[in-house]
Amino acid sequence: MAEIRRESPVDFGVRSLETEVRSDWPVALAYDAEGDGPWVVDLSHKTRWDLQDGQVGELTPAGQSVPATPGMSVLADGILINRMNRTQTSIYHLGSDAPDLPDHPGFTDVTEATIFLALFGPHALHIAEKLSNLDLGDPNKEAPFLLQGPFCHVPCQIVTLEKDAEDGTNGAGGFVLTCSRGYAQSMVHAILDAGAEFGLRPAGEQRFAQWLAALSS
Amino acid sequence: MNRLNQLPTLRIDPAEKRTLSYRGKSLPGVAGDTVATALFANGVRIFARSLKYHRPRGLYSLDGECANTMMDVDSIPNVRTENTLLKNGMVVKEQNVKGSAEFDWMGFIDKFDWMMPAGFYYHTMHKPAAVWPHAMKQIRKAAGLGEISPDYVMRGRFDELFLKADVTVVGGGAAGMRAALAAAEGGLRVVLLEARPHLGGCFDYRVSDNGDGTPLYQRARELAEQVAATTNIRVFTHAPLVGTYSNNLITAHQVGSDSDSFTERYIEIRSESIVVATGCIERPLLFDNNERPGVMQVGCAHRLARTYGILPGKQAVFAVGHDLGLEAAIDLFDLGLKIGCVADIREDGQNPDLLMALADRAIPVLKGWVAAKAHGKTVTKVTLTTVEGTVKRDFDCDLLVASAGLTPVTGPFIMAQAKMGYDNHTGYFLPTELPERMFPAGRLTGVGDPRAIEASGRLAGLQAAAACGVSLNGELDAAKAATAALPGPERGCKLVTAPVKGRKSFICFDEDATIKSVKQAIDKGFDVPELVKRFAGVGLGPGQGGIPGHNLPLFVAKYTASSATPKPTTLRPPLVPTFIATYAGAHHHMFKRTPLHKSQKAAGGVFRNIGVWKRARYFSDDFDCREEILNVRGNVGMLDGSTLGKFRIHGPDALKALQRVYVSDMSKVKEGRIKYSAMCNDDGCVIDDGVVVKRGENDYYFTTSTGRAGATVEWIRYHTRFDGWDFHLVNLTDAMGVINLSGPNARKVLAKVTDADLSSEAFPFSGYREITVGGSIPARAMRLGFVGELSYELHVAASYMQAVWDLLEEAGAEFGIRNFGVEAQNVLRMEKCHIILGQESEQRTNLLDVGLGFLWDRTKSACKTVGAVALRQAEKDPNRFKLVGIRMEDDDRPARDGALIVDTKVRGYVATMRKSFTTGEAVGMALVEKPLSDIGTRLEIFEDECNGVRLYARVVKMPFYDPNGERMKA
Repeated sequence: MAEIRRESPVDFGVRSLETEVRSDWPVALAYDAEGDGPWVVDLSHKTRWDLQDGQVGELTPAGQSVPATPGMSVLADGILINRMNRTQTSIYHLGSDAPDLPDHPGFTDVTEATIFLALFGPHALHIAEKLSNLDLGDPNKEAPFLLQGPFCHVPCQIVTLEKDAEDGTNGAGGFVLTCSRGYAQSMVHAILDAGAEFGLRPAGEQRFAQWLAALSS
Repeated sequence: MNRLNQLPTLRIDPAEKRTLSYRGKSLPGVAGDTVATALFANGVRIFARSLKYHRPRGLYSLDGECANTMMDVDSIPNVRTENTLLKNGMVVKEQNVKGSAEFDWMGFIDKFDWMMPAGFYYHTMHKPAAVWPHAMKQIRKAAGLGEISPDYVMRGRFDELFLKADVTVVGGGAAGMRAALAAAEGGLRVVLLEARPHLGGCFDYRVSDNGDGTPLYQRARELAEQVAATTNIRVFTHAPLVGTYSNNLITAHQVGSDSDSFTERYIEIRSESIVVATGCIERPLLFDNNERPGVMQVGCAHRLARTYGILPGKQAVFAVGHDLGLEAAIDLFDLGLKIGCVADIREDGQNPDLLMALADRAIPVLKGWVAAKAHGKTVTKVTLTTVEGTVKRDFDCDLLVASAGLTPVTGPFIMAQAKMGYDNHTGYFLPTELPERMFPAGRLTGVGDPRAIEASGRLAGLQAAAACGVSLNGELDAAKAATAALPGPERGCKLVTAPVKGRKSFICFDEDATIKSVKQAIDKGFDVPELVKRFAGVGLGPGQGGIPGHNLPLFVAKYTASSATPKPTTLRPPLVPTFIATYAGAHHHMFKRTPLHKSQKAAGGVFRNIGVWKRARYFSDDFDCREEILNVRGNVGMLDGSTLGKFRIHGPDALKALQRVYVSDMSKVKEGRIKYSAMCNDDGCVIDDGVVVKRGENDYYFTTSTGRAGATVEWIRYHTRFDGWDFHLVNLTDAMGVINLSGPNARKVLAKVTDADLSSEAFPFSGYREITVGGSIPARAMRLGFVGELSYELHVAASYMQAVWDLLEEAGAEFGIRNFGVEAQNVLRMEKCHIILGQESEQRTNLLDVGLGFLWDRTKSACKTVGAVALRQAEKDPNRFKLVGIRMEDDDRPARDGALIVDTKVRGYVATMRKSFTTGEAVGMALVEKPLSDIGTRLEIFEDECNGVRLYARVVKMPFYDPNGERMKA
């Protein structure tokens, strides 16, 4: 009988060093020769929710408050909540486990709808500059913050989680990105191509977890 | 040629050798050379021939301001060799020559300039008009610049960069660097663009001091080090500005060096404020043969020596109108150039220190004199004259350094829609009204004193920072005071042309336009610069008006004795030539793949672009898809239908929103049932169709066509924007894959992978069930019949799609299950006369035309259905198109999709037609005018390239297959 397994839309074209199967998802934990960064990590298996409600600002998904202003994000306990507009919020579960979808009718599990990539490390924002005119290093915004717009001409949600602490000009930092699942391979190809000059390498979930832990500490 | 290898100003590395190939010979160069300087160092003086008269042309500006040194480099024509850094192994050729640049057989045309006055083409070759096509071919053979092979493949890596900046400084000279440093003090993000491969501008090659004893070149390097050490300044060298646009959008391109990852890249900057410190170029001096090889501008001669270590000649004459000319004469003399004479156009106003230095070197200075004529194919002699033309003297020389004065590089201002005016003191065209948050700095403001140049840069940088909201606490006032305390704008030379008739005085080198041709244009009534520019072709060449840009309006004003203030002609992007490949950038092909893309490809899928998706259209070399079709009709097949649009709509007013956009009464959607309906636009034209299912209270799941998926959310929001309804939409197009399992054995196959009751009673046609596949995978199953057979459409989470597909494939193996692609689906549904919007419809086709009027519920009143008003009108219109079934008279010759139905006029078109393997007939659907829609009507069909032979078909009943739908309802 055919194997019941889920497939990530992302394929970096290299075999992972260590993999774990989680809820039918094969999750790459580490890759060979991940290098010193920048890194790109496939997080497509991480649970994402869409929450829409006329009173979305008053809701507390997974016990967290929804940011008051569109474009603002909050990261706490491994949950990233991004206020998209007056009525809509996206919720990314960046930790290893996600709770069940709440009973509130405004929630939709959209994990399958998009790819979910993290791009971080030295020059991460310089790579983004080659692919998007969105200002991921906007000095007037405090990370994390949400941008919605084209990345390599594809509509995306991008959340800057970190930008260079001093002046934002050395390109260090990182962000997570979602876009329509169908664009996965085109997007990965474009990102790896743009990042080649900076030594961009695929990395496993462990690398992302370390970065996330450092951000949260 | 021996280089001046020890100069501290050099930008070459004599130790690092380069070679290029020219006329079959390998010529040496060094790192830092441009192609042009390497050729010049090897004795090349004539680089190319001119566009029209095939006159010899040589080095003139060193900044690519004209086409003089455009050559074919590595098979790319029109390369500005002055701006192109030499790379090892480059192959360089002359262009637009018959023979060689030194001896061009077409050079005789220069003698016939009298036959080609201004507007020559306009009034010579159109009478009789029949002459023109022949004349045009001959002219194109004789004139023009380089040619590119149609087979040429652009090599290199092209990239893009989208920057955000608080302050962008255009120009990396002393003023630009000071501006960048000042703006960066407040912590702002600063971008500095410099067209040359290094910072320094007019300081970079000069050894005169800046007022405190520091040589200018050294000062430039100090500033460059400060800039490099300032982390919030990003410097882009060899990055000329291409355009400035409203809202401070700037575009540039950057040429990559050997160590860069790109050949050339497009840069787009959105900047809060801009400092323009582009400096000045030299205003060409107009005299006879003023573009001969051997005539060059002051900066060109000076930089050849100081930047590239090449003495520009042996024996020189200078004819200049500014102090930089005197400074260059002194410095070049000290480097070994013999100077016969310096003719200074100005009677007075020279820097006395410079006059003294010239006297110390026994270089004669003729004040109020100007060059009147250069002699020789390359300069061998020059005639000087007083500016009044009363006295003349000849000097032997191989170099004539000529420049009327300086003129600011105002392209960035003009493109940004600044208002320009003429400043009588400096003789410059300067902005009189600047766009918001744009600030000028440096030499282009008229200042020449090095300290004033720097001070103006700092002031502009602070102003730009203040415009970004930085609080400067009196620094701005201090900078203004410092600037005011230094020498202000200098008086400029006003002379435009030497006292000559101008038959061979070239105002535009690129287009071979002379003073005489400008006069001819004016005499014909084209008496403003913008008209002269077009009629006489002045400034229309690849130099983008760099050479004639300022002389033309000045000359027109003088010749017409106009009292109006002269204004520069308009410039448009690209300000400098930019490869189309650079604009294209990395050009990543962004397209969507379905979750089954890999396995479809492995199964032999032949993919085609369908909207934003790649879809498997065929699964064999047989593009008629006979086996795929017959397998569905007789057995069972699987189609990847994942590209369908899929949406969730929920909330208390979800039903109202559905009622608004769908033509049917959506309140009749029952749980466990599918409702097929369509959407129209306000004109009643059908734009989409799909199915809707109800999954819970105020919770619906619906599909759209592939092409409409991207627009659906906005469409529904737009049409409910004034209602304040409480509903929400989620686009699940990519979240759910779709497998269409079709054929008489479909139920048997599906039954092997699910425990759900699939009997027709439990799961009838038009039913909807949520089932489990493979024991654990949830699937939304719909009984549909698009291809006219028993069919299940399984909507499955995208990540499980491959697993479900594999399960079905395994289960169907005993039945001979196989893939079918989009083309097979197209034929199958055509046989059933199920329409595809976009194929059986076009922009003007309404719901009624395609026979979907039965979907329209005229009675629902709670919500105004989009398109209903127009449909009411259309229902009474007897002249609309109607979708009909047609069969060819010759069953072996189906008409092509899109073929026209004609009599004396176009009466319709064939939407889809194929030879049906099921019926053996060539059948299809066509949209025809109503009078032609009766059964049995004979239709005449016109196809492209039919050579007058028409095809014939007759209107027949629809559908062509299983008219009672027994198979799909089985």
